[in-house]
Formats: sequence, structure tokens, C-alpha cells
Amino acid sequence: MSSNSEACAPAASADLHQMAAAGRLLAGVVHEINTPLGSILSNAEVIERSLEMLAAMLADPRPQSLERARRLVGTCQSLAAIDRVASERIRAVIRGLKKFARADGEAPRAIDLNQHLRDSLLLARAEFGSRIRVEADFGTLPEVECFPQMLGQVFLNLLVNAAHAIEGDGTIRARTRLEDGVVYVAISDTGRGMTAEERARAFQPGFTTKPIGEGCGMGLAIAREIIEDRHGGTIGCESEFGHGATFHIRIPVRRGTRGPEGPAAPGPRSVTP
Amino acid sequence: MNQNGHHSPSDHPPSVLIVDDEEMVITSLRAFFELETDFTLHGFTDAEEAARFAEQNLVDVAISDYLMPKMNGIQLLARIKQAQPEASRVLLTGHADKQSAIQAINQVALFQYLEKPWDNAQLLLVVRSGAERARLFRELREKIEELDGANSRLKTAQRRAIEAFL
Repeated sequence: MSSNSEACAPAASADLHQMAAAGRLLAGVVHEINTPLGSILSNAEVIERSLEMLAAMLADPRPQSLERARRLVGTCQSLAAIDRVASERIRAVIRGLKKFARADGEAPRAIDLNQHLRDSLLLARAEFGSRIRVEADFGTLPEVECFPQMLGQVFLNLLVNAAHAIEGDGTIRARTRLEDGVVYVAISDTGRGMTAEERARAFQPGFTTKPIGEGCGMGLAIAREIIEDRHGGTIGCESEFGHGATFHIRIPVRRGTRGPEGPAAPGPRSVTP
Repeated sequence: MNQNGHHSPSDHPPSVLIVDDEEMVITSLRAFFELETDFTLHGFTDAEEAARFAEQNLVDVAISDYLMPKMNGIQLLARIKQAQPEASRVLLTGHADKQSAIQAINQVALFQYLEKPWDNAQLLLVVRSGAERARLFRELREKIEELDGANSRLKTAQRRAIEAFL
């Protein structure tokens, strides 16, 4: 793990969306990769060492070393078989990541936003498991024109933040409603909440309450960019220290035909909803 | 554990327990240790079976994964600690987080915390020193038991001598 400054400085100029996707998703699945990777690296060493021994035996062939040579070959064969299985495992993980981190096209797509939020809740569960209870209260929504991948990042970001704010057991609530052609999404948690200062700076790039190495402080800044600039919506939060937090997102059901390059309807950037 | 009829501590190759719900990890570690050492290896994908094994057999070093079904690595190592306090306990985890590390150190007096992907050379060093540590602890316990035995024999002799004179 690199330090805060190493991880965040180049990222500020890099593609923020890529970083958010990588950061949030990789944290959850990294252990899925480390196990097969450990096997592959270990096997490579053992196979190399076995080949050295076999080469030495071939250079000075003796009948009594035949049995040992056979065993070495057998070991190498079983390790190669494991490498194949391990590589397949890593490939499957990466395939899953790609599916979720697939870049959005130029134009928005009309999707079932409730289902999208449900998928994000499932993915976020990988992070907090059964420690946290999830309550979904979804209203009936029409299909929403949006950039699904980017919205998924925002949801995941808020959910993972919510989980981190909860020490021990707690609850995360996700709520959706349709209000006058605008979709309203609220994600709240029963965690530690924010102080007034933290709340005021929550969306500032680089601001984080997490320990060094654990957070870049870019998540909410990116979330705001995605919601306000890309979707012409608003995002805000309310929280009282010690009493959890709620994030409010509002995005229009239909948006113009403008792609992700240009803001459709940049609204005022407020911290309160 | 001499009362269980095991050999004296110094005359056996280290007995190493490897527990991981992923068969591939056990196979890789087994291949490595078989090539490089004379360790006696016992691999388990089931933590419960591993715990039962440790309750009945000598273990010098126990290497356990953290995230496993049924019980996690810390719970397993706690059971092994209870059965064989001298065994050195190693957590080898792909899910490295500070919380589990602190918990492991505090609850089961962990000998070493290693992350996946592991480094074979480092792992070997850890297992060798862990086995040496276990051997020294067992020897120490035997010496103390010998001393205790000698002491009680001495007391018995003294008591008899006094009784003989009275």
C-alpha cells in the first residue's frame, strides 16, 4: 500500500472515474486475487528449482536418481495444473471487475435505477458482510437516463463510506423516490456521523477522515462531479456528530442528449440538499 | 507433549500444520516444503478437522488462513493454542487488515502475521524459527517437569527419613 500522497497526487490529474472504480472495487476483491497469486508465485520458484535439479541429474545421469527425477517431474506437473486453475480464478475476478467497471458510452442509457442500486448494495456487502443490516425502501421509478457505471461508482462510494462510519453493528438505509420528474436517492447510515467541519469539507478534493493509506479523500469530490456535472443533478449531506449521516442525491429522469463531456445543467454546488 | 507419548522434542523433524480452505495453497506450500526441507507436513482445508488434529498430534508450527468457512484463522489458532501452547502460530492471510492483525496478536499471541501473496524464503525463515522456538519451549517445560519430579522425590525421601527417626 502506498502512502496518501503517493496514491493521490498523480491521481488528481488522472482519470478520476477510473481511480474511483479501481479504488473501491479493488479493495473488496484484492484478497480474491492474492490467494491464487501466492500459489502461482510459489509454484514458479518450486518449478525453477526442480528444473535446476533435473538439469543437474541429466548432466550426470545415474540410475539411482531416476526415481527422484520422476517425482520432481510429477510435482512440476501438478503445480502447472494448479497454476492453470489459479490463473482462471484471477481471470474470473478480473472479468467481474470489468463488468462493473465498464466505461460508459458517450450517450446516457435508460436503466432501472432501483436494480442498479440493488447491485451496488450486493457488491458493497463484500466489504462489510453481515456486520451491517441493509434496509432498502425503493419507490416505483421510471427508467432513468444516466451513465450507469458512473452512478454505480457514486453508490458504491457512499455505501462503503457508510460502512466505514459504522463501528461494529449498524444499519444502512437506501431509499428511492420519484419527485416531479426528479429521482431522489437517499443513503443513510447509523455510524459516527460528521462534525460541522467535516460536513463542510466533505466534498472537498483531498479531504479525508480516514487514516493515511486508507483513503484519498477523492471519493465524494468525484461523486459530486458525476452527479452535478455529468447528470445535472445535486448531491448533499446532512449529519450530526454521533448520529449517523444521510446523503441525498437528485437527478432528472430525462436529460439532454449531451454526452459525458459537457454539463447538461450545472446546478449550484451546495452541501445541503 | 511427552505425556501423550511423543518423542523427546529434539529428535523429530518439525511438524507443520497448514490450514487453508483453498486446496491450491496447501499443494503449493507442500511442494515447496517437500523440496526444501524435511518437515512433516499436515494440510487441511477444513479448520475443524485441523483443530481436532492439533488436539491429538504434535504440532510445532501452525500456519492458518484467516477467512475460512465455519471458523476463522484466529478462532482456529486459539484452539490450537489451548491444545498445544508451545506451537508457534502463524496467520497467512489474503485479507490483510489492521483489525484482524491486532486481534490475532492480542488473542492468540501470534508468532508471525504474513500476507498473501507470500514470499517462500520469508515463510521458510518464519517456519524454521517458529519450530526452533517451539522446541525450546518444550525442552524448557520438560526440564521444569524433571525438576518438579526430582523435587517431589526429594520431599518424599525427606518425609520417610523423618518418619523413620520418629
